[in-house]
Amino acid sequence: MLVYALRRLVGMMVVMTVVAAVVFVIARVIPGDPAAVMLGTAATAEDIAALRVRLGLDQPLIAQFVIYLKQIVTLDLGDSIFLGRPVLQAMAERTELTASLTVMAVGIAVAIGLPIGIVSAAMRGRAVDRVAVTAAMLAASVPSFWIGLMLIKYLAVDFGFFPVSGYGPPEATYLERVRHLVLPAIALGIPNSALILRFTRTSMLDVLGDDYVRTARAKGLPPLTVVLKHALRNAMIPILTVIGLTTAVMIAGAIVTETVFGLPGIGNLIVSAVLRRDYPVIQGALLVVSGIYVLINLAVDLLYAVVDPRVRY
Amino acid sequence: MKSLTYSFAATALAASLTIVGRPADAVAQVPASVVTVATIGEPPTLDPVGVTSDLVSIISQHVFETLYTFDAQWALTPLVAAALPTVSADGKTYTIPLRTDVVFHDGTKMTTDDVVASLERWTRLSPRGKSAAAFIEKISGDGAKVVIALKQPYAPLSALLAMNNGAAVVVPKSIIDGVNPLKSFIGTGPYKFLEHKPDQYVRLVRFDRYVPLAAAASGYGGARVAKIDELRFVPVPNAATRAEGIVAGQFQFADSLPAEMKPRIDGAAGLKSVVVKPFGFPLMIMNNKTGVLADQKLRKAVATAVSPEEMLTAGFGDPAFFAVEGSIYAPGTVYYDKASVSGYAVADTAKAAAAVKAAGYKGEPIRIMTSMQYDFLYKMSLVAQAELEAAGFKVDLQVLDWATLVQRRADDKAWDAFFTYHTFVPEPSLITITNPSYPGWWDNPAKNAAFAAFNGEMDPKARVAKWAEMQKQFYADVPTIKVGEFYNLAARSAKLVNYQPMPWPFFWNVELAK
Amino acid sequence: MSQPTTPAAAAPRAPRGRSPAALVIRQLLRRPLAVVMLGVVVAMLAIAVTAPLIVPYDPMKMAILQRLKPPTGLHPFGTDEFGRDVLSRVILGARLSLLVGGLVVVVATVLGTLLGLVGGWFRRLDGVVMRFTDALMAFPDILLAIAFMAALGPSLFNVVLALGIVYTPRVARVVRAATLVVREMPYVEAARALGAGSPRIVFGHILPNLMSPVIVQATFIFAYAILTEAALSFIGVGVPPTTPTWGNMIAGAQQYFRQADWLMLFPGLAIVVTVLALQIVGDGLRDALDPRLQKVTR
Repeated sequence: MLVYALRRLVGMMVVMTVVAAVVFVIARVIPGDPAAVMLGTAATAEDIAALRVRLGLDQPLIAQFVIYLKQIVTLDLGDSIFLGRPVLQAMAERTELTASLTVMAVGIAVAIGLPIGIVSAAMRGRAVDRVAVTAAMLAASVPSFWIGLMLIKYLAVDFGFFPVSGYGPPEATYLERVRHLVLPAIALGIPNSALILRFTRTSMLDVLGDDYVRTARAKGLPPLTVVLKHALRNAMIPILTVIGLTTAVMIAGAIVTETVFGLPGIGNLIVSAVLRRDYPVIQGALLVVSGIYVLINLAVDLLYAVVDPRVRY
Repeated sequence: MKSLTYSFAATALAASLTIVGRPADAVAQVPASVVTVATIGEPPTLDPVGVTSDLVSIISQHVFETLYTFDAQWALTPLVAAALPTVSADGKTYTIPLRTDVVFHDGTKMTTDDVVASLERWTRLSPRGKSAAAFIEKISGDGAKVVIALKQPYAPLSALLAMNNGAAVVVPKSIIDGVNPLKSFIGTGPYKFLEHKPDQYVRLVRFDRYVPLAAAASGYGGARVAKIDELRFVPVPNAATRAEGIVAGQFQFADSLPAEMKPRIDGAAGLKSVVVKPFGFPLMIMNNKTGVLADQKLRKAVATAVSPEEMLTAGFGDPAFFAVEGSIYAPGTVYYDKASVSGYAVADTAKAAAAVKAAGYKGEPIRIMTSMQYDFLYKMSLVAQAELEAAGFKVDLQVLDWATLVQRRADDKAWDAFFTYHTFVPEPSLITITNPSYPGWWDNPAKNAAFAAFNGEMDPKARVAKWAEMQKQFYADVPTIKVGEFYNLAARSAKLVNYQPMPWPFFWNVELAK
Repeated sequence: MSQPTTPAAAAPRAPRGRSPAALVIRQLLRRPLAVVMLGVVVAMLAIAVTAPLIVPYDPMKMAILQRLKPPTGLHPFGTDEFGRDVLSRVILGARLSLLVGGLVVVVATVLGTLLGLVGGWFRRLDGVVMRFTDALMAFPDILLAIAFMAALGPSLFNVVLALGIVYTPRVARVVRAATLVVREMPYVEAARALGAGSPRIVFGHILPNLMSPVIVQATFIFAYAILTEAALSFIGVGVPPTTPTWGNMIAGAQQYFRQADWLMLFPGLAIVVTVLALQIVGDGLRDALDPRLQKVTR
């Protein structure tokens, strides 16, 4: 196990280095001299030259890449141009929102996907099953921002059940803030529930065909007991895996959802940074979010290896 | 394997419970009265000196003050200065007496040195200060007075000192350290800076040691009394969200709403619509320096092709919110002049097409820059594009974010026209396009002579006549198309008592009824 | 965006010998829903191709006085804030959105197939190719697309390029896995023994065998590309807003969602119908091409 974990860890480091290289290339492809872009129109030629030296832009590309890797290792992602504070700090300030939103959205996706997936598997081939599978496909076909707009229109504006946008005033309690996240979490959770539903159904079907389940059935145990006690317990591992992957997908999904609902989270930070040409933020956010994404994937893989020794090869 | 699955689930559950069940953030004291203002976006800075952004001014005018300001009739009135400036007979020396009871937010008393240092910073950093700097010989202190010595008479100076964007605000000399923009926001206004969380809010709280002027409040002038404990400016870039947010009671004021929202605001209980008249005028600025439109004949053809009425309708919808008006100053203002307007709102496609041909246009694409940050500008540019294409122009419409547009417009080789708007200003020489170095580069001997004559004239009546000459030149050169007049729609809670509608909304003297 | 990695598509099996098209069609015909949805996809494609001929009005023609009119007989989908006919714009949007989706499929398929073949056939390059695809897949789709768009600037061509690169690893993995299996097949060994060169084996034997998994993958990429393009345009970094893709139409409609909800309703429905149809067809195809999976999907 340890060997496997180490191998995966090394593999992850390699991937993250390549990720860092890709980010480096993207940041250098961005049109124009970054120094001139950062300083704006009022900058003099001397200002730009000085900043180029400070940013290390006067050095050869390879040297720049080494400096950049050093910065990453020391967790120094530079300063935001527009916000006038370190990128890491700007991201940290917004983590609570995005983390809460993701947790709530995962909760909603699981609450929808898991039970329906189980029922669907238990009733395989029947009308309920076919409707559920098609509904899942439908949920996966709706743009989450469109769901968001519809929710704002019908639940927030027309009926006033929920706040229209934002994250509440500075003195708002956490519960009030959570109320601001309900609609966004639904908008984000619904399309992702489809994946959980389909995966739950598939894993359950796999398990339901296994011998011990057939034995249990033959013993005359009530069908519900068989499904929930015997089958679900064993189908749980792949289901947990997919929940982990969904969480990773949703961190990215939050980018669009936060824009729709005017939530000042990490996604919003990224979109604003693109519109404001705040390159250090784009670069830093790319690294951090893909890092989290890779870590979740690694955690899922390791978890899988712990429970199912066959995957260690 | 079983136990592991369960413990994982249990941990996940516990984690989610911890998050939900976490005690409320301890923000100990909730101020007695708070007014939340929904603005159109996140301000790039809170220092109003270096930028001419209305958004920055709306917030910063509560914190920073200028020597002079404008009253309800747009006449100059003292604010940090003790009285209007005395101007020497040759028009070259301005003596400005200062108030001696002004206290900065850090508790120190304002001195003449602070004012001199602030004005010098303004001449270095502010776009408005830079245009004044060309005329300024020296700024010096003399007891409780500041003396500005000029190289030649410059009538717009006092109005420049009163503007609240690119503003000549007074700050302690100690916080001026060559850094632009300022890092600490210490001013003299009725509100002081408390906290800025980017993309979330700017919080200002009442400054208890503020000494209001004795004169009655009028426009931006007279007594300013902070009656509300805390002001919050919240960026809400989506106009529909601003409107729905104030209907839902999340805000007490929502700035800059689409005209279509008026029935919604008027129909909502506890809300009042605020229409600001005059407010501003959209401009289609053309590149007079480089490229196809450097040819006056083609600029004239563009002006003939476009329909201001259709552009304004597309931009603002409800005719109650705009006026098809060619005079740079609207009817009812001092500098209004109808006689010098010519060739405005012709909207004659055939005539324009003929002019395009006659000018020898060879199909070079007209690069028009626009931005969606200002929705009405974007819509106007779409209409203009359609109309110009109908007249035989080839149009390359470039939709940029506003920051990029502002950056790119400085490069005369990058564009042929761009859309912007100008807020009403009481002094014509404050209008950006009169400046020959402003992008668009309206710069020719006839215009410069007309402008110098206007700026050198100190007599108010004669200035009106000289401005008419300037406007005549404007319609001869067609450097820019003044699309028309538009009025701003904002919404406020009916509980805001004593709110005065002005172009840059302010919240001193306003009370919050229970 | 939420794009489920369709569980089974990620792990294709090598087809058993040649799978004749007739067999596939027969398999597909046993799934009525998939057939109906295939009809929808074909109809959408037909609309896209013939868009300029079938639009009731010029989709760009403004009629300012007719702005924001609700759906009527004259304008079944109403008019927008410039008085343009929404139905015509949705039809033109089909052309643009499907064009983006289709081109993304082409880019991703070509790049992905090349990369996958290189990885699967030349074992020494396999590690490099795999690390590269791993790295690209370490970014969430939408985030990588946003980063590319920030670097490239908004344009339809750049959206195609960005999304094409984003979806390349999906194809590359499928192709590599299939190549690894096929290269060990007896007839490939035989061909090699007979002295056939790499190009000949790859193009003559391996590529034909990759067709079915790639087609399945391409169908899903088509669907995701439409969804992601809409999301990119919606947040303002996609196709320039003057181009009426469905995503841009919804973005423009945001401001009017109170007084003119038809503006965001119709383009949204167009996206849902198209993406749903593509996904169901993709599912049907996958099942038809891989009998083993029928157990779980039926």
